[in-house]
Amino acid sequence: MIVCALLPRFELAVTTGGREALAEGPVALAPPPGREPRIGEVSGAAEAFGLHPGMLLGEALARCPELALVAPDPIRVAQAWEAILRSLEGIGAAVEAERAGVAYFDGQLLIGLHGSEGRVIAATRRALRHPARLGVGPTRFCALAAASRARPRRPVVVSGGPTAAREHLAPHPVALLRFRDGVAEVVEPLERLGVSTLGRLAQLSRDAVVDRFGQPGLLAHCLARGEDDPLRPRQAGETLVESLELPESASGPQLQRALSALIDRLLARPERGGRTLRGAVMAAALAAGGTWRERVTFREALSDPERIRVALLPRIDLLPAPADVLWLEAAGFGPPAGDQRALLEEGRARRRARLREAVRQARTSAGPDAALRVVSVDPGSRVPERRAILAPFEA
Amino acid sequence: MTARSERGQGPRMSGRSRQLNLPRAARVLSGPGGAPERVDGHAVEAVRESWLVEDRWWTERPLGRRYWEVLRADGANVVVFHDLRTGRWFTQR
Repeated sequence: MIVCALLPRFELAVTTGGREALAEGPVALAPPPGREPRIGEVSGAAEAFGLHPGMLLGEALARCPELALVAPDPIRVAQAWEAILRSLEGIGAAVEAERAGVAYFDGQLLIGLHGSEGRVIAATRRALRHPARLGVGPTRFCALAAASRARPRRPVVVSGGPTAAREHLAPHPVALLRFRDGVAEVVEPLERLGVSTLGRLAQLSRDAVVDRFGQPGLLAHCLARGEDDPLRPRQAGETLVESLELPESASGPQLQRALSALIDRLLARPERGGRTLRGAVMAAALAAGGTWRERVTFREALSDPERIRVALLPRIDLLPAPADVLWLEAAGFGPPAGDQRALLEEGRARRRARLREAVRQARTSAGPDAALRVVSVDPGSRVPERRAILAPFEA
Repeated sequence: MTARSERGQGPRMSGRSRQLNLPRAARVLSGPGGAPERVDGHAVEAVRESWLVEDRWWTERPLGRRYWEVLRADGANVVVFHDLRTGRWFTQR
């Protein structure tokens, strides 16, 4: 029993300061600075012009010349969404939040706490404190589909297993896939090919879909057939944030020094208790208005400031304009690490250890052939292919 | 490393090792003396050198190659060989 809480146009509503602004005319979130020119969430009036999130800005303006664009404010959205997630966690829900505005949790686990399915729904509604649509289904995607059809005060409940999920999903438009990361790109081609509903997508041969769309097609086909990954709830935990006001709007090396200082301050916080960081969220208030937010997940949990700098500093260069305020937030904690340095550090041994680690990471991301070296086998051979081989690199 | 490779002519590679400079099939048009005149659609300007490699003649898988180092009309210097056993042409660096 997966419960989906859907807050339609959440990012847009938070950014514009309320849902009232969305009723005034066609509005859409402008493309984030420095990214691909694609619009974000759109208001109902904009939707009536055929606009949808992810559409190219040029096409959106061609379809709706009076479209009002609102600069995205990812920091405000993240704060508002975090407050909602914490509120849901407050009723005992282990929440998965793929994106702002859509949250899932296993309602079955809460029945013992609240008494019945109806009471779980009621508690959820109280916790949300926003006009939300609630759907219940055997899978996340089915629950999302149910929520998309639900009225504000009347949840849609789909009971049963994958077959019931598939039957419920069949009449829904393929556009519903836009809510899921990794499959949004298949929606437009499917619509162009005349595959307008999830039922029609499910009827297609899986091989044919994979042949045409690759991995996203496979995922979309599984979802349409009522198959979905299990829930991956986030770990409810404390927030650790450091911020720095920049008196003169900073960019370039100045910004890098500020980030460097924030890393040291974050690691020095006593609440960290020696734990490693699994990732970090950088955010900035831009001098020209608007905000910027970038999440970085480390390949492994880190507590070494130098290695955290190596991971974060290249990303700060993506900042589209000088910043007035910079924030750094710990995004998840890993197991504690021995932060104490060795009394006598062997430079060569350290370099070898780092090289080994770099090779391991390269192989993790690019496969076993990511780090190879040329080994001379028979350099004097008259047959060229016998002279050397590529062998795994061992540091 | 003594057994044959995928072409049956080189050393066997362990789990994740790979051979370098493996021959690649080439389209070669040869003249009356066997010298290449066109390589992969390009005319041959000059033959720089030619040599014969005979190896493993004592095994069931002998290796016989006539190598030609040629200068193509597009300026590329390439090495091709004629496999005397199969009659096929290959390029090799």
